[in-house]
Amino acid sequence: MSVKMIDVLVIGAGPAGLAAAIEAAKLSASVIIADLNMKPGGQLFKQIHKFFGSSAHHSGSRGIDIGRMLLNEAEEAGVEIWLKSTVTGIFPGGKVSIEREYDDRDAELVTLHPKEVVIATGASENAIRFKNWTAPGVMGAGAAQTMVNVNHVRPGNKVVMLGSGNVGLIVSYQLMQAGCDVKALVEAAPKIGGYAVHAAKIRRAGVPILLRHTIIEAKTGQDGSVCGCVTAEVNEHFAPIPGTEETIDCDVITIAAGLKPTMDLIKLAGCELTYDALFGGYVPLHSEKMETSVRGIFVAGDSTGVEEANTALDEGRIAGISAAEGLGLISETEAADRRTEIWRRLDSLRMGPFGERRRTEKNHLIELYHESVKEQKAFA
Amino acid sequence: MEKYYDIIVIGAGAIGSSVAYHLQEAGFSVALLEKKDVASGSSSHCDAVGLICDKLPGIDTRMGQASIDYFGVLAKKFHYDFEYNPKGCLYICETKPEFDAASEYCAKQNADGYPLRMVRTEELCSMEPYIARDLYGALYTPSSGSVAVNPYKLCFAFVHEAKELGLDCYTYCDISRIDLNPETHAVESVVTNYGTFHTKKIVDCAGVWAPEIGKLVGIDIPIEPRKGTNLVSEQTPQLCFHKILEYGYMMSKFDSINFKRDVSPLVEEQNIAFNLEYTKAHNLLVGGNRLFRGMDTRSEIETMKAICERAMRFYPKLRDIKCIRAYSGVRPFVKDHLPIVSDVDSVPGFYIAAGHEGDGICFSPITGRFVKQIICGQPTDFDISKLDYSRFMKEEALAS
Repeated sequence: MSVKMIDVLVIGAGPAGLAAAIEAAKLSASVIIADLNMKPGGQLFKQIHKFFGSSAHHSGSRGIDIGRMLLNEAEEAGVEIWLKSTVTGIFPGGKVSIEREYDDRDAELVTLHPKEVVIATGASENAIRFKNWTAPGVMGAGAAQTMVNVNHVRPGNKVVMLGSGNVGLIVSYQLMQAGCDVKALVEAAPKIGGYAVHAAKIRRAGVPILLRHTIIEAKTGQDGSVCGCVTAEVNEHFAPIPGTEETIDCDVITIAAGLKPTMDLIKLAGCELTYDALFGGYVPLHSEKMETSVRGIFVAGDSTGVEEANTALDEGRIAGISAAEGLGLISETEAADRRTEIWRRLDSLRMGPFGERRRTEKNHLIELYHESVKEQKAFA
Repeated sequence: MEKYYDIIVIGAGAIGSSVAYHLQEAGFSVALLEKKDVASGSSSHCDAVGLICDKLPGIDTRMGQASIDYFGVLAKKFHYDFEYNPKGCLYICETKPEFDAASEYCAKQNADGYPLRMVRTEELCSMEPYIARDLYGALYTPSSGSVAVNPYKLCFAFVHEAKELGLDCYTYCDISRIDLNPETHAVESVVTNYGTFHTKKIVDCAGVWAPEIGKLVGIDIPIEPRKGTNLVSEQTPQLCFHKILEYGYMMSKFDSINFKRDVSPLVEEQNIAFNLEYTKAHNLLVGGNRLFRGMDTRSEIETMKAICERAMRFYPKLRDIKCIRAYSGVRPFVKDHLPIVSDVDSVPGFYIAAGHEGDGICFSPITGRFVKQIICGQPTDFDISKLDYSRFMKEEALAS
């Protein structure tokens, strides 16, 4: 069986993966970046809104433009981008199998033998279960966002959104821009989760935000797909209060209930994990180099804890530099200096009431890494 | 905590669960100690059939048949459903030499009274409409000699039924020491994270881990881990209607026959034995292989590829069906392909029921019964002296 040798394999072509690939390739590593989607950029290409933050972090730019910029940079640096390429496993002997699809011929299973791996597989949406939650028409808010912003297809006409965090608010607004009638936002907590600036846009358009409410059932029509949504008020324990049920006429229910890191490959590689509620679930322990408990396996972005595109970019840069350092392409001191600079920038990003908690938590995770990982495992 | 039990059974896989059940049923006070959880080792990383036709004629087949019959009895007796499902088995013969060898095997088994029979291409294709059309034939075993069970549920069933009778089951139990009487070397107690259990009898049912327990009482148990891998398909319409295995592999499995299949270097090197079964959940289980890799149970990409290659040769339609995952486990291998079900002369009160290689699920009911009979001083259902631990001592004596 033929096994292709390369320096660095980056898994996931979102902001973290692209940044890692660019840094490693600029330091003259041979880099392949594999992504299962038809287009690179991860979630960037559906983010048509402007980012917040400092100028070093593209504030005022839209995700979609940052995505284009990163792609150009990656191509110039000589990164080989494999699309429609699903990493199906990380195997003994440091082998990685990739199912690679093509436009003009049959898919093939390729086995790579990379010296270093950066896993930047992002996050996946959480589901909320209620009666008929698997019916056609019930979907993640992120999926609905991809449909309207990337594929230019409306998921339906009348939408009920569950969750009033930033994703729930922004996606509701974008669905309205795409021509959907957003009937209501349903939020179990007593106050809106996301920024007031986003909520105001929704409210101005006359969309009710039902606080202390939840969805208890999706009504389905003859074809089994969604034709309504039953809401109910919840008590202080978030349990529905009988007698408060109301039915909203809709054909789509979108769920914005947060994200959890996509850990499958990280687990498969044998990296040590820890549970972290703030970051959305199980996350890999990693050092300030973004290296895991398995030597040569690096992580970056949402797969290390759900945050945002800007932090993902910077973590990706650190992972790329560290991978190049592992290959001897950059001196230890230079790599350390560059990492320090990026960490300083990351600290400035992790500010404000939400950011501060994430900064403390990240530092805690790195401390935990040094406490519990006395000796790294070999990637073999 | 200090406690007394008549018998301590170590290992809650299929064998240990069955042994614990049978001893508890016989009226002893029994504790079942398990390092992880019930069915967390080889018994949950295997396939799900009991056959007579993968056994050598003689005691091997006799034990298989007795166990298969006994499964039917237990399925009726137990409240806990372990998905007992008798279904026929086909050992497919790719070529004439394989068919001839299978015919000879079939004749021997027929002489012992087992109703196996040979089928040719046409009948094979009618029994298995999706099978490759260019195969020479197959060895057919009717459902009286071929049964599927859910291996997890089998272990749960034994433990559940035994608990109803009073069994104490300790999971996540670490055994740090086994104390013997300094003079007689007889078993006295087992020291664990749950405290000390005083006992006069221990049954080592720890499968591939049985040698570790053996070391605690100073004996060498010659069991080696032999890895196997299965692929799981997406849910599909029913693609096969029997348990399917390839006969050519049987011929290379047992050292007595010098036979080489016409297969690719990858299939040869990975020691692939094609087998296929359709599960209750509508997935296909596609196997398998036998490799010595120590205790490493990670699946290997080369093995997975080789299994696919071999499987598509026999069922071309598999090309269109997706594999959703793979799992690997380790079988407790003994050089002579027979389990060890026996007491140990040098350590009074220490018994072994382990080393069933790929037959642990199949042999679990009968093994539990044998251990009960041995411990109760009853005659076993039939002569099992070949399974005695002392056979390795004799071998050593001969060698020196």
